[in-house]
Amino acid sequence: MRNFTGLLINEWLKLSKKKSFFVAYAILAVVFGIMGYAFYEIQPDGLTSTVDFATGTIMLQAAGQLVPVLAVLAAAGSVTQEYRYGTIKFLLIRAQSRHKILASKYIVMVVYTLTLVLTTAALAVAAGYIVYGGGSGESTWTDFLGNIASLAVYSIVFVTMTFMIGILTKSNGASIGIGIFSMMAGSLLVMLLSRYTITKYLLFANTDLSVYRSDAVPIEGMTLVFSIVILLVYMALFLSVSFAVFKKRDIA
Amino acid sequence: MTTAKITNPSIVLQLDGLTKKIGGKAIVDGLSFDIAKGEVVGLLGPNGAGKTTTMRMIVGLIGMTEGDVRICGQSIRTSFEQAIRHVGGIIENPEFYPYMSGYDNLKQYQRMTAGVTDARIAEVTKLVGMQDALGKKVKAYSLGMRQRLGIAQALLHEPKLLILDEPTNGLDPAGIKEMREYLKQIAEAEGIAILVSSHLLSEIELMCSRVIVIQEGKLVTVRSLGEAESTKQKVLSISMQVGNAGQALEVINRMEGIMAAQSDSFTNKITFELQQDQIPGLVASLAAEGVAIYRIEEVRATLEEEFMKLTGGNRIA
Ligand SMILES: Nc1ncnc2c1ncn2[C@@H]1O[C@H](COP(=O)(O)OP(=O)(O)OP(=O)(O)O)[C@@H](O)[C@H]1O
Ligand SMILES: [Mg+2]
Repeated sequence: MRNFTGLLINEWLKLSKKKSFFVAYAILAVVFGIMGYAFYEIQPDGLTSTVDFATGTIMLQAAGQLVPVLAVLAAAGSVTQEYRYGTIKFLLIRAQSRHKILASKYIVMVVYTLTLVLTTAALAVAAGYIVYGGGSGESTWTDFLGNIASLAVYSIVFVTMTFMIGILTKSNGASIGIGIFSMMAGSLLVMLLSRYTITKYLLFANTDLSVYRSDAVPIEGMTLVFSIVILLVYMALFLSVSFAVFKKRDIA
Repeated sequence: MTTAKITNPSIVLQLDGLTKKIGGKAIVDGLSFDIAKGEVVGLLGPNGAGKTTTMRMIVGLIGMTEGDVRICGQSIRTSFEQAIRHVGGIIENPEFYPYMSGYDNLKQYQRMTAGVTDARIAEVTKLVGMQDALGKKVKAYSLGMRQRLGIAQALLHEPKLLILDEPTNGLDPAGIKEMREYLKQIAEAEGIAILVSSHLLSEIELMCSRVIVIQEGKLVTVRSLGEAESTKQKVLSISMQVGNAGQALEVINRMEGIMAAQSDSFTNKITFELQQDQIPGLVASLAAEGVAIYRIEEVRATLEEEFMKLTGGNRIA
């Protein structure tokens, strides 16, 4: 167990010792700074409180979209960078099973994603407080927490998918490309195919759980529980493929 | 597939019919050999012979199609973690996280193995002479420095077996000599078994007690390199450039125990075989007879030539 903690620390350091590590957090800070300023200047209708601002901006359709993008950028590199640097050859000749090494990588990616989500949430509240100084509006803290949870789920699903693509393709660029493309094109695809009921089994029809807070369900008959089950099935599939392939793979 | 356990406890590495097929083609084909504690063994072969592939299989980076590799009696196939803990290695170039310092890179590998202390990190970096460069980012390292850090990384967990794929690649002549010295030293002092690959026989000769020659994935020959013979009694092949070959040959023929003297009166070059401790006497006699000596050289081509013959020159598989 002590050894596994060592693996987790290693993975975290591989991420955080990079110069680009703080860039992701800095981008989020700048974006919320700009948004706060813009809202202060424009004073849009229907937004009257800190909670309104925070709840609205962290949605996937708003600044929240940055989080899965930044997380996918990191997840694509987790395994592929080891190939690119050639360090995979030193990593896999230690008295540690490949499963443990991959598990440590995946866990650290999820933790990193959660730090992005939490940073975003904190920034949204801070910017909202500066602009509105509390106030009362339509949204409640429960709505806000719900949106945080949806953002975290959406991000982790795409991180898991990109992580798998990284293992399969060994290419950082390809993983980033496929990860971000499917994020963009996925919802479009669901829209185009929404008249077929089979579409509800597509991963992309289920990634945004925040739809269940309103009545805008993508396809008739879908429920929150249904989507969670579908997501769990896909995650299990992605992870099984990742671990099976990584275990067997010849490192040439 | 045989699973016979090793009988001799001093055997550290055992290859047993090791085979790798890719796309139906055998890249490594039925390779079997043992390496004992404290032995430095060379794995020699032309480009594409399968040296790197063999080493990748030994450390479990790639799977084997047939056969087995046992390290201290543990199969790398079925008990990977127990087997690999005795192994340190560099396969092809030593690569590190370029954005971290040498020290941070070593810490990575310290955290992966129980029982590696900070004192051990200091010890191995001193051994490879990297103590002053350890704080620098690896991206600022030369190939030679990375090679040294690679050795440090391989020695960190006090392995019983070192697998080194062309470890002198990228080192300057002083570095090559130094590397040779400390590989020999750690083999002797700590009883580590070392398997080192190269295409240069001359390099292998200088540090190995045995050489395994492979070509197209097959064992060609295993040969002991005459380190056991004391150098004094060792029979050397000597070529001498003299003022007058005929006269020199007369002197040489008068002396005992000098074999196969040949002379070429055109180039005034003579070649012969004798024991090392006879050389001073011979030189004195030649000088006394007034034979001018311009050059004395050891002819070391024999094993090299043999290698060329065995492997068909530089033909790439
Ligand atoms: N992944 C692979 N797929 C197909 N063929 C391969 C693969 N890896 C190696 N080979 C082939 O196996 C043979 C042996 O390669 P290997 O790298 O083991 O040679 P080597 O003895 O290390 O050569 P060098 O001295 O050039 O380093 C070569 O013919 C090579 O083309
Ligand atoms: Mg090679």
